[in-house]
Amino acid sequence: MTPRPFTAGGYVLSIVTWLGLWLGVAVVAVVVGGRLWTWGSPGQMENVLKLRLEWVATASVVGAALALAGLAFQALLRNPLAEPYILGVSGGAALAFVLASLFVSVLLAPVFGFFGALATVAIVYAIAQRRGRLEPYTLLLTGVIINAFYAAAIMLITVLARPEQRGDIAVWMMGNIGAFGPQWGLVGVVGVLAAGAAVLFAFLAKGFNLVAVGEDTAGALGVPVERLRLITFVAASLVTGASVALVGPIGFVGLICPHLLRMILGPDHRRLVPAAMFFGATFLVLADLLACL
Amino acid sequence: MAQVGGNPVAAATAAGPYIEVRDLEFAYPKGPRVLAGLSLTVERGRLACLLGPNGSGKTTLLRILIGLLSPSKGEVRLAGIRLADYPRGALARRIAYVPQETLAAVGFTALETVLMGRSPHTGALGFEAARDWYAAREALRLTDAGAFAERGLEELSGGERQRVIIARALAQEPDVMLLDEPTSFLDIRHQHAIYGLLRRLVKERELTVVCVSHDLNLAAAYADRLVLVSRGRVAAAGEPDEVIRSEVLSPVYETPVEVRRDDATGRPYLLPRPPG
Repeated sequence: MTPRPFTAGGYVLSIVTWLGLWLGVAVVAVVVGGRLWTWGSPGQMENVLKLRLEWVATASVVGAALALAGLAFQALLRNPLAEPYILGVSGGAALAFVLASLFVSVLLAPVFGFFGALATVAIVYAIAQRRGRLEPYTLLLTGVIINAFYAAAIMLITVLARPEQRGDIAVWMMGNIGAFGPQWGLVGVVGVLAAGAAVLFAFLAKGFNLVAVGEDTAGALGVPVERLRLITFVAASLVTGASVALVGPIGFVGLICPHLLRMILGPDHRRLVPAAMFFGATFLVLADLLACL
Repeated sequence: MAQVGGNPVAAATAAGPYIEVRDLEFAYPKGPRVLAGLSLTVERGRLACLLGPNGSGKTTLLRILIGLLSPSKGEVRLAGIRLADYPRGALARRIAYVPQETLAAVGFTALETVLMGRSPHTGALGFEAARDWYAAREALRLTDAGAFAERGLEELSGGERQRVIIARALAQEPDVMLLDEPTSFLDIRHQHAIYGLLRRLVKERELTVVCVSHDLNLAAAYADRLVLVSRGRVAAAGEPDEVIRSEVLSPVYETPVEVRRDDATGRPYLLPRPPG
């Protein structure tokens, strides 16, 4: 592939292309999914389409959020195995979700899940920071410890829960689009957060590239490395937490989408960030459509 | 040039020494003092080499000069202005850095790597103009690296990669270039090519170069000024003739050396002598 300059025109064109791909897939997913569900009872079509629309919207915002968060964590931690749940954000959301669904109300559980994720961000930062600086390896290690702790706590609660509650916990822990009734409000929250993260990361993308080359190099080229890390950590954790609260810890998307995109677009984060948002959305909509079959 | 609002950086002049380091002290947290009252000056358009044993504080000094570390005492002035007063971006447009070890980024080509040197000049989203590509291509040509512009950095040999990194610094179009052992991976032809290139840039573009080197002979052959650093202080500074002397070098390196003169160039050179 001959190298081409990174220009505003090319940028807009690529965004429009990815947007078009996602829109096309989303429309097909609504209609085809609707037909699959109403096989034999065409009278229900209108209600089914409404439901399909919600599922596709949920899959879109979650896919976008997770792909962006995965890309950002891989850049932040300089580790290709990094994914949105690596720092324990999903564990925090899950623990809060499970506790809330057992002791408060299943309907409010997503809200608790989101605050569980926020609390985890604060805990991980407090443990991993040294004089306000975040080192990739310390962060990673902190994430492993926090995840182990949450996993143990959730297992304990599952064992102690009543048998009929265990099923709910298991379904949620698998990650599930639309399993817990209509939640347009949360879909909106995740959507807004994901779009905000996409814009933010687009402005940080130049810095992601330079940090990948080396910290000193990035610093010498004018990148505020410490601030970049802190902002990335908080933003990526926020979108991850919101999406986990909405649908549970759906795996794979956040790890694989950035890597698939690198195979197509190369390692340049300026090109990867906008693509990740739409590609992640497309990917999860397709996965959800497959699940309808 | 029109001045707006008395911006001190915009008003920077070339009068006086271009780089001025005064009474610099530095210690890493919980570590011993690395720099202990180090002072030096480098004039504009000069090639200065920092010499000294391992652990004498050369790399730390370089990292302070780029603004990556803040000194605990003393100050650094660039073009008469305190380094700390430069905004990050302004400093990055003036000073380029060639680090000692460079991590090979996952999958970037040589050209992409060199284009990163344009980063302080491009906007927030990093859009590139023809000007940026011209600077990158020109830098690759100058370092004799154009032939592998489109190859991945990981595929290149250590020496080829080093030339790409130097090209990245050149693409930055800086006033000052700081290099940390730039020729340590290079064969003798490319060692001379790099120092020859630095000399040319110093002469043609008034570039100011500060270069850490363990190769005393290369430094003596190309530098205008040598600064010998020992235990965080300057042990000797001056023209090659003043520094490349056995009575100056032997105590600092704690090993006997013999200095001779190259009849062809008139520059001194050094022969290590086994101790005892």
